[in-house]
Amino acid sequence: MLIEFTLNDQPVSVEAPADITLLALLRDYLKLTGTKEACEVGECGACSVMLDGELVNSCLIAAPAAIGRRVVTIEGIHDADGGPNDLQRNFLSHGAVQCGFCIPGMVIAGEALLTKNAQPSRQEIRVALAGNLCRCTGYMQIVDAIEATANERIKKSN
Amino acid sequence: MAELKYIGKPAQRVGGLEKVMGKTKYVGDYNLPGMLYARTLRSDLPHARIKRLDVSPALKVPGVLAAITSEDFHNHGQFGFPIKDMYMLAYEKVRYVGEGIATVAAETPAAAAAGMQAIICELEELPAIFDMDEALAPEAPQVGPLRADGKHPNFLGHYPVYKGNPEEMLKQCDVTIDQKYETVMQEHAYIETEGALGIATTEGGVVVYVSCQSPFIPRGHIASVLNLPEGRVRVIVPPVGGSFGGKDDLNYQAAGQVAALALKTKRPVRMTFSREESMIASYKRGAMRMNIRLGADKDGTLRACQFKSTYDSGAYSSQSPFTSWRASIHAMGAYRYDACTVDINTVYTNQGYAGAYRGFGNTEVCSGIEQAVDEMADALKMDPMDFRLKNCLKVGDVTPHSQTLTESVGLTDCLLAVRKMSDWDRKRKNYSNQPVNGDGKRRGIGVAALFHGTSLGAEGADEATGTIELHDDNLVTLTSGLTDYGTGSRTVYTLIAAEVLGIDPSRIRVHLPDTNTAKDSGPTVASRATMLGGNATKVAALNLLQNLDWAAADLLNCDLHQLQRVGESYVGPSEEPVSWETVVSHAREMGLVLSAHGKWTAPLIQWDEEHGTGIPYFAYHFGAQVAEVEVDMNTGLTDVIGLWAVHDIGKVIFPQGAYGQLYGGISHGFGYALYEDVDYMDGYLQSVNFDTYLIPTSADMPEIHGGFVEAEFSQGPFGAKNIAEPAMVPTAPAILNAIAHASGRRIRKLPANLERVMLGEALKKKASTVSCKVALNIT
Ligand code: FES
Ligand code: FES
Repeated sequence: MLIEFTLNDQPVSVEAPADITLLALLRDYLKLTGTKEACEVGECGACSVMLDGELVNSCLIAAPAAIGRRVVTIEGIHDADGGPNDLQRNFLSHGAVQCGFCIPGMVIAGEALLTKNAQPSRQEIRVALAGNLCRCTGYMQIVDAIEATANERIKKSN
Repeated sequence: MAELKYIGKPAQRVGGLEKVMGKTKYVGDYNLPGMLYARTLRSDLPHARIKRLDVSPALKVPGVLAAITSEDFHNHGQFGFPIKDMYMLAYEKVRYVGEGIATVAAETPAAAAAGMQAIICELEELPAIFDMDEALAPEAPQVGPLRADGKHPNFLGHYPVYKGNPEEMLKQCDVTIDQKYETVMQEHAYIETEGALGIATTEGGVVVYVSCQSPFIPRGHIASVLNLPEGRVRVIVPPVGGSFGGKDDLNYQAAGQVAALALKTKRPVRMTFSREESMIASYKRGAMRMNIRLGADKDGTLRACQFKSTYDSGAYSSQSPFTSWRASIHAMGAYRYDACTVDINTVYTNQGYAGAYRGFGNTEVCSGIEQAVDEMADALKMDPMDFRLKNCLKVGDVTPHSQTLTESVGLTDCLLAVRKMSDWDRKRKNYSNQPVNGDGKRRGIGVAALFHGTSLGAEGADEATGTIELHDDNLVTLTSGLTDYGTGSRTVYTLIAAEVLGIDPSRIRVHLPDTNTAKDSGPTVASRATMLGGNATKVAALNLLQNLDWAAADLLNCDLHQLQRVGESYVGPSEEPVSWETVVSHAREMGLVLSAHGKWTAPLIQWDEEHGTGIPYFAYHFGAQVAEVEVDMNTGLTDVIGLWAVHDIGKVIFPQGAYGQLYGGISHGFGYALYEDVDYMDGYLQSVNFDTYLIPTSADMPEIHGGFVEAEFSQGPFGAKNIAEPAMVPTAPAILNAIAHASGRRIRKLPANLERVMLGEALKKKASTVSCKVALNIT
């Protein structure tokens, strides 16, 4: 079937079977491999994307459910010049990245949180990330990076 | 030493930018034109003879191009290190649920799955062993290979440490402890599952991209099972999505399978595992049963330790001989004893199989000995922190292995620092006297200490080689045969080379580990990348620096020793400074070679396996962790409120990386303490995905307060030692000791889940074969 939606602010239209997941659509049909697959049962968050601004596990969403909606993947997160945005830079400077496999999902989850709650406490950050597993970092520096970004964004908007 | 410019300063992880942008290509992200997908048929019985195996029906399935079994490999695909007891695909027998039997390659994943299901495979079930204590019974079914020495085939090895006679000494001690402790298997749970991509080359060889730790090991295995010269096999390790010791044998099998299929089909072949396949087929941290006896004098002096244990390697030996040896060396903890013996016996069973996992035996024994030490402190009515401080190893002490520690022993400083940081004295006192309050919640605080030998020790020859090359565009490239699977070692090498050469790290690139360009540097295990690879990088960079210094001295008309550096530039006694680029181009004009390699060999050590004595490691990491918990006495729920960790890792080279290793290691120990349990029941895994095998989430983990004691090691690169493994080692016993302090309940079998904390034992569940069987057949 023809699946048409907005992907990272660009209209896309792709021919794909109706019974695949949004994750498979992104990875196998649109060749966007930044979104990862690691459990396919909605437990790890490696496949996190934003669907109309909501954080979702793309392995649990049927591809046709994206029709007419806005999907943002890690490939859509960057600065105006295509480089890393403030959150991504903070991930780097706080040492929040190790193997990196969970990181696209973590960045998406971080952005989703910050659009809803501009000034989350560390505990709120921890709860917001609880659906994104990371086996490398113990989460400390990921929480640090999101907290720092929130503070910077608040300062900037004031 | 001159002021360091890059080492120990904030730095950005090599490869980090691509990771935050989602651009990093892991093996499962590779897509080549005409690429085939591979899928493996796996055993659904824990122990069976392969009666009939016929792959021809698979070849009739549309889209299937090839199918292989052990017959497609030289010598049936036998491999393994240090013991060759595994096969690329099962030969004659299967020994655990999930063992690979045959692999198909097809145009689509669905066709590969259909092909797998079409294979005719008849298994004749054999009696199996699931309890390590029954493995050596005379009538026990044979799991391990026959032995030349006539011992029981299920016996894998005996690992002793012997100093004096603790049996006798225990009789003379004022206070003794005699307890049993038990650990269970743990899943690595790397977020990226296993994967490999094979590509046939025009000259009849094969290139394999495989997510693994040590590329030279699969190169050797693949060359041997495909009967190819090593020069025809190239193994490249793309970025690895976590490993923690877990990406060896199973990934080597995947690598061998895709290599064979690529040669057969002349098409690229990729295999990536589902989470279920990964959990069912992969090796785990092995389970251990320990009996620990300790003796001390009334004044709190530890005198004797007798440690006996059995370690379950499961169906294959994998790294268990090394794991068990490392366990034996660390079994008594970081303390002085007048007499100490350790006996670890390792056996084969059919409970999956055990291999390397962070801490490598020390994690297991530490959870036992550090609880025993706590129980001893209790019996002596001593503060456990004071008791450890009184007995812990210091410079000048002789260890129970008969090694004299001459330098870099920072344990006392770690204990003192973590005591202060965690506000130990106040909390310990308060919680010891807390009334049972209305809500049934009680707090406690516990400590655990560790030592951890750096690098391989007497496990094997210990050397590494790094190369460095300065290119026409003035970029410097480094290679290392050691893999950075998220640990940060490539960043460490960059900082070391930058420091030595006096240039900005942004000029430096580090190649991926590739057997064609890097030199064999042994395995990337045992937290040895910083020490071994770092030293090799340093030697290589020094060799290059020497040539640049010649050129600079020539330009500046001075002697080598008169050269000074200002920023990157060179300055002589009289002339104007010259830029680094000018020096480089002058070196080229002089015809100097601007590439070098550096080899570093670890100091010689030796271990007498029979008498259990010698010098097992040339240096040790030390550390201490404190956990504060709140236990709900009504439900058994343990909330870890805070964790403090101070480790002596020698000089810290890449601080964000070192803290990341510390925090990450602690999260593995946290899960190990409280809920991680690979629940094999009669050989069948009960939890096959993250919905039932729980690992710590961000909401579970408390804030961690970390710190480093930098007791520099004279032979480490800039004084560095190691961090990756030992970070997790003391976490579980610190938490268990805190639970005991809070609740008065001593949980001697991991994990301390609700049932154990509440009832003292885990509730029995009924074994089910369903999740394994369903998961192995999913299309
Ligand atoms: S792959 Fe979607 S949540 Fe794990
Ligand atoms: S960085 Fe490796 S899983 Fe998060």
